[in-house]
Parts: sequence; C-alpha cells; structure tokens
Amino acid sequence: MSVTRHPDSAWLIDYACGNLSRGFELVISAHLMACAVCTEEVRRAEQLGAELLFGGQPAAPKLTAVDVLDAEGGDLSWLTARFALRPAVGTTSLQAFVDSYLDCGLSALPWRKAGRGLQVAKLRADEHERLWVLRAAPNTVLPRHTHAGSELTLVLKGAYFNGDTIYAAGDLEDANETTDHQPIVTRDAECICLAATEGPLRFASWAPRLVQRYLGI
Amino acid sequence: MLHKLMTKPHDPTAHEPTADDAGTDGAAIVPFPVDAGRTEENDSAAHETQLLVRVRDQRDRNAYQALFGLFAGKVQGYLRRTGIDPADAENILQDIMLAVWQKANLFDPQRASARTWIFSLARNRLIDIKRSLKREYAALERYSLETADDQVYEEDMLARAAGGKSVALLAHLPPEQASVLLMAYVEGKSHREIALELKLPIGTVKSRARLGFQRVRALLEQAK
Ligand SMILES: [Zn+2]
Repeated sequence: MSVTRHPDSAWLIDYACGNLSRGFELVISAHLMACAVCTEEVRRAEQLGAELLFGGQPAAPKLTAVDVLDAEGGDLSWLTARFALRPAVGTTSLQAFVDSYLDCGLSALPWRKAGRGLQVAKLRADEHERLWVLRAAPNTVLPRHTHAGSELTLVLKGAYFNGDTIYAAGDLEDANETTDHQPIVTRDAECICLAATEGPLRFASWAPRLVQRYLGI
Repeated sequence: MLHKLMTKPHDPTAHEPTADDAGTDGAAIVPFPVDAGRTEENDSAAHETQLLVRVRDQRDRNAYQALFGLFAGKVQGYLRRTGIDPADAENILQDIMLAVWQKANLFDPQRASARTWIFSLARNRLIDIKRSLKREYAALERYSLETADDQVYEEDMLARAAGGKSVALLAHLPPEQASVLLMAYVEGKSHREIALELKLPIGTVKSRARLGFQRVRALLEQAK
C-alpha cells in the first residue's frame, strides 16, 4: 500500500503529546498503521518531547528502584492498546485495524441510509466530536459541504476524488473550516472511510440539511 | 528516508499557504552549536538504551536500578512541570517506572531510544489522567484571568519547560513558533485549543507548529 496523503505535522505532534480527543486519535492511529512516513514523524515528535520535557531540572522522588522491583503486581491497565500493540509498519493492514478496533465485521455496524448510495454508522459522539464510518457505492457524489471545525477522513477501502486529488486506501484527508469540498467515489469500487469531525458539518444545499438533522451528523 | 523527510516539506499539498508561511519560510536556519556536550549526550543516550535492553532481555535488576537513577528524577520533574500535584506525581511516577520494569518486552531500540520510549510511556499515563480531569480543567480555564502580558507568559512557560538544552533548542525559533510548541508539549493543548486561546486561524497555528517542528528536528539531526 503506498500512502500519499498525510495529515499536517500539527496532528502528529498532538498525537505524540497525547493532546487529541479519542476519535481523532483513533483516525491518526489507523493512518499510522499504513504509513511509514508519519510513523517516523511521530517518533521524531516523541524524541523532541523527551528532549524538551526531560531536559529540565530533575525532581528528587522519594520512590526508589527497590520499591518498584519489590512491588507485587501493580495496575498497568492505563497502558493503552495504542501503546502496547503499536505494530511495526507493514506487519499489519487496515483490515487488522478494522478487526481490532471496531471489533466486528463491517457488516455488523449500525448502518443507516444517508442519501443515494451512502450509508453511515456512527461510532461515537459527544459534545466535541463525532466518529463514524461512511460507506459509499461506486460513483456516489457526496453532498458538498464545509465544516464547522476539523475533519479527518481516512480511506479504509476503495477511493474517492475531491477535485483533482484522489484519496485511496491508507490516505488521510485533512480538512477544516477553510475547506469546501465534494467527494466523488471512483467508479470501480465502493469506498469505506473512517472519519472524525469536530462540530456539525455544514452542507451547502438545503436537502442534505434535513438528512443531517435526522441523522444527527 | 530521514534525508527525504528533512529536505522535503511534510506533504506540501496538505495545507494552504498562509501569511504566516510567507513570513517565516524564507528565514535561515540558525545552526545548532555542535560541541563536546552533544557528543557526550549521544553516548549517554546509547548507554540508556543498552541498560533498557538488559532489563528487557535479562531481567537485570542492576541495569534497572541504574536506569531508575537516570530517569526517575527527570520523569518526576516533567510531571511536576505539567502542573501535577507533588503527591500525585509520586504515584504516577511509580506507575511509569513499574511499566518500564514490567513492560520492557515492548521496547524496540530500532524504533526509539530508551528516553523516547520512557517519554511515550509517561505521556500515555498522562493522557488517561488528563481525560479524567478535562472537565475540571475546562471549568478552571473559563474562570482564569486573561494574561495581560504575553511576554511574561512566554518566559514563564520557558521556565516550566526549563533546562538549558531545551530552551537553547527553542531559542532558535521565532517566538511565535516556540510558544506554539511549548503550548503543545508543556501545556498539553491541541492545535485547535491553541487557535482558540490565541484567537488565531487554525491554519496559522498549524503552520507555526509545522515550521517550528521542522526546524527543531533539523537541529536535533544536525547535532548527531
Ligand atoms: Zn502519513
């Protein structure tokens, strides 16, 4: 898989610092599984973190090495799957991501129709962000829309065009309130995407607005 | 690949040029002073990594104690600078150092040095804590007074990031780039949160983070 569309470095720095909300973090994690370039970029952002944050005046903890070595068990449940299972690039695939993160086949997701050729399944929603999977039939023209905030879209399967740019499996589209776009799925295959959005999408025409209100997207 | 990363801007198609880009792109990179201290620094990084490999492969308690001696104070210092209460910092330190001992099997020196790996462990611990405190923080921020003097604010952040080397690294950046990186790394704010706080367009904050990061990364690379 050759990935050509990457998130801005600002996303990767936020990922390395742990500054992202869960939905956006998940989309970036999934891209990293497919992208050696961004994985290297994250490593460098972590390296900078170690230089910046371990470089200062050290504190003098009371805790000793022996306290730790003698401790029985201990709770390491905070060690997230992201850290513990962080796979080497190339050893895994987006299918592995779908299996391990969504924990079910795509067909088992709670799909709802969202217009001609388009189905969406909402995975997560709170006051700040939404995470969903979109599934569009070949040739589907998605409603033209702008955004109230950031939107990261990762292609899991198939491909779509936005203007002259094609986004294929593993590619990540980095959009925000300054972006106005109308994705069109390629004609040869269905397209499945994982998307995180901040704030509600703003559709350019009135018809999708009704769909939007209905679906709560 | 590293060479490619450094000479080619990171995906130039991913953003629209902004006024901010124009203002800083042309500025020359100030070379980072490469001195004996840096070489020593690299030796010590290699030493730390060897210790962690011994912990991983041989469950070597002496190597662990040496590693603990090198990192516990640094990790604790980092926790304290992120604003964590001293009593809590001690518990969190224990969690992190326990993970170093028990999860050393996850360490891969091909992917990260020991200090980078331990930083990412500490960062992971903090994510959990930050998420549970998020609501509280949000409430606090809403009622906190606006800082009248940005200069004082930036100096305070530099003091919190503390340490000659890190300040020296960021001193090579235009102040607006340095402060975005400090807000991300030290205060743990996302680029969206920074944009809201500084009342800047999101694209401007992204440019500052990206350009600052590119430059610091080049400096770190040069110092090797
Ligand atoms: Zn990438």
